[in-house]
Amino acid sequence: MLSQHIGAICKPVVNKKDRVTAGQLIGIADGFVSAPVHSPVNGTVKDITLCSHPVLGRAEAIIIESGEDNQPRRPCADKFGNSFDAGRFLPEQIFDAVRRAGIVGMGGAGFPTSVKIRANPSSPIHTVIINGCECEPFITCDYRIMLEWTNQIIAGALLIGRALDCKDIFIGIEDNKPKAVDAFRQAVKDMPAAAGIEVVAVKTKYPQGGERHLIKSILNKDVPAGGIPPMIGVLVNNVATAAAIAEAVIFDSPLTYRPVTVSGSGIKKVGNFYVPVGMAAGELIELAGGLTDDAVKIILGGPMMGFAVADLSTPITKTSGAITILTEKETGGSRMRGKETPCIRCGRCVEVCPVNLIPTVIAHAVRHNLLEAAEQYYMSACTECGCCSYICPADIELAGFIKTGKILVARQKKLMPK
Amino acid sequence: MVQNIIVSPSPHIRKHHSTQSVMLDVIIGLVPAMTAAVIFFRLRAVLVVGACVISCVIFERLCNLVRKRPSSIGDLSAVVTGIILASSLPPSMPVWACIIGSGFAIIIGKMVFGGLGSNIFNPAMAGRCFLTACFGTMMTTWTVPATIDPNMPKIGEVRTASVPAALTQATPLALSKEAIKSRPAFRRGLAFGGAGGQGTKAATVNSIFNYMFVGEVGGCLGETSALALIIGGIYLLIKGTIGYIIPAAVLVSAFICASIGWLIDPQYYIAPWVHLAGGGLLIGAFFIATDPVSAPLTKKGMWIFGAGVGAMTMLIRIVGEYPEGVMFAVLLMNSLTPLIDRLTKLTPTGGMANA
Repeated sequence: MLSQHIGAICKPVVNKKDRVTAGQLIGIADGFVSAPVHSPVNGTVKDITLCSHPVLGRAEAIIIESGEDNQPRRPCADKFGNSFDAGRFLPEQIFDAVRRAGIVGMGGAGFPTSVKIRANPSSPIHTVIINGCECEPFITCDYRIMLEWTNQIIAGALLIGRALDCKDIFIGIEDNKPKAVDAFRQAVKDMPAAAGIEVVAVKTKYPQGGERHLIKSILNKDVPAGGIPPMIGVLVNNVATAAAIAEAVIFDSPLTYRPVTVSGSGIKKVGNFYVPVGMAAGELIELAGGLTDDAVKIILGGPMMGFAVADLSTPITKTSGAITILTEKETGGSRMRGKETPCIRCGRCVEVCPVNLIPTVIAHAVRHNLLEAAEQYYMSACTECGCCSYICPADIELAGFIKTGKILVARQKKLMPK
Repeated sequence: MVQNIIVSPSPHIRKHHSTQSVMLDVIIGLVPAMTAAVIFFRLRAVLVVGACVISCVIFERLCNLVRKRPSSIGDLSAVVTGIILASSLPPSMPVWACIIGSGFAIIIGKMVFGGLGSNIFNPAMAGRCFLTACFGTMMTTWTVPATIDPNMPKIGEVRTASVPAALTQATPLALSKEAIKSRPAFRRGLAFGGAGGQGTKAATVNSIFNYMFVGEVGGCLGETSALALIIGGIYLLIKGTIGYIIPAAVLVSAFICASIGWLIDPQYYIAPWVHLAGGGLLIGAFFIATDPVSAPLTKKGMWIFGAGVGAMTMLIRIVGEYPEGVMFAVLLMNSLTPLIDRLTKLTPTGGMANA
């Protein structure tokens, strides 16, 4: 996949039938807001073509046939001790290493991390938050690495702080994971360089893992709608991203593997896997024992915001934290039958909206192609968390309409091709 | 390749409820009030409720057929409309009048606007309003609860023209109205008959508060028992079917407005808590004003809406000509709902970055 991030698509630098080795650069970043792609395995380039993409539908990809001589890559967390000191790296060095490694936001957004951690004098960052809240229900990969890669994540956090010359670092963890909270509190105590890091237990609720909600919980500050956290001097990075940063800076290894949660009642063996980026979803499902007979939905990502796919060759990308396979029972029956009933204006969507919008009015406007009216009700401020659709008793695809509306507006403004 | 895989927009999980289950909750919430109605008004209650519910459902189905749309009676909203309409009618209402009211409620009150979700006014209140305008006498003839008068006819023998005096009774609010009208300041303008002593009617009403709370007084079918309505209302609040805002706003604003009258002249104005227990205020607060379709969407809007219903009800009860004002108050505030929604438009958390 040459587009695993927000920003310019990569340019392939290998040709068909080329031999590649694990960690070799195969796609170069084309533009500042971009991230390069590396081969996770030894093998041969089979083709460079369009391929099913979880978010974009179809996108250009380099298909590599894995060779015989592959050793699975091991996490390097055990190489991180208590004596880590970020001071020996210069901010420029950290930026370069992160950019070279092709690191993007691994929580799901996929914004190139190098862009985020480059110090910008016009909007200095005074607080860094490491996001240890799972993006969505069902997902546990962040929890798993928080327990196993604790020191590595802290090292990553310190490196981010060093790159931005920022001393205030928080690690936010949901309070249903007391073991992770304890692990981090202990690790911070044991690591002299990490003395300034504060571990905060936040309430467990969806969408706590959304950065603006986490900032609200920890700092009690609001990020303006349509704005980004750096506008208020805050930077949020996922724990997996922090771990990848530590690995990239210290061992100069590119981001080619990531932890993925495979869960849901539709899979035989639920678990967390450390898999090569680019692996087909179907392969990972096989590793997890395969689908059960009553599986009806395969989702790349979590149940609230993930993308349902029909093509099992769709690969794991740098941003896919999970594959969730749901049964009919879990998907809540009625939506399967597509039985939408009229809006009764009950206001539940308004009540649950974490950014204080009126989803039903926006969705209604989009349905009737009144994009201006939808904009007047701040459609662009929607974070697409899906809470409105979840709660709607009339089974209206509120989030679906709003997402469609945002795409239509982007097309109107010619920001997005058709 | 995998078979039978579904692809649809996120989110992929859903809360297990539907419009139907929401409506079913409202029906369950109305069960205590219906039980009280059957206890106090016996077969009359069964007849009126049955006539309203069945005719509401039939009219809704007929409208579906005329519009060539799939049946919408499964969402149970017509049943709710029927029960609420019946609750707001006097027990002596003849069945044919119930059918006319139901027809107006469903056809004009709801279906001409496009069915559930599109109606401007609460359909049940629209139907009742129509009946009030057409059959004023019938709508103000009140039977005494069966528990008080064992001779009360069990089947619809009560006719408006020849109701024996013993079987009818003024409602507490009608007494309250008489008390207010007998107030010297009021009488000067109206040349209201009868010497002093009318003021004692306010005291009479105050003294029967216990009966009003239980429901052993004359009044509309489902409105008499404050206790049953409160039980039903609490059920809906616990289930989360209705929010607390509208009931709280209605009751608080009504209490405040009633208190003003009571503090000015307790001899002629009945006590505020008696006002709350009397007439349709409780059913209005818990079951009618909370109809989501015709109420505002935002919390602030709900406060304004509820406060408006409470204040308007009291204005009609205390100053206006009618003894009861919940129906007009709800309809009036329904008409203001689009305006309230517009005025209470929300802004996103943190404000807009590019605004």
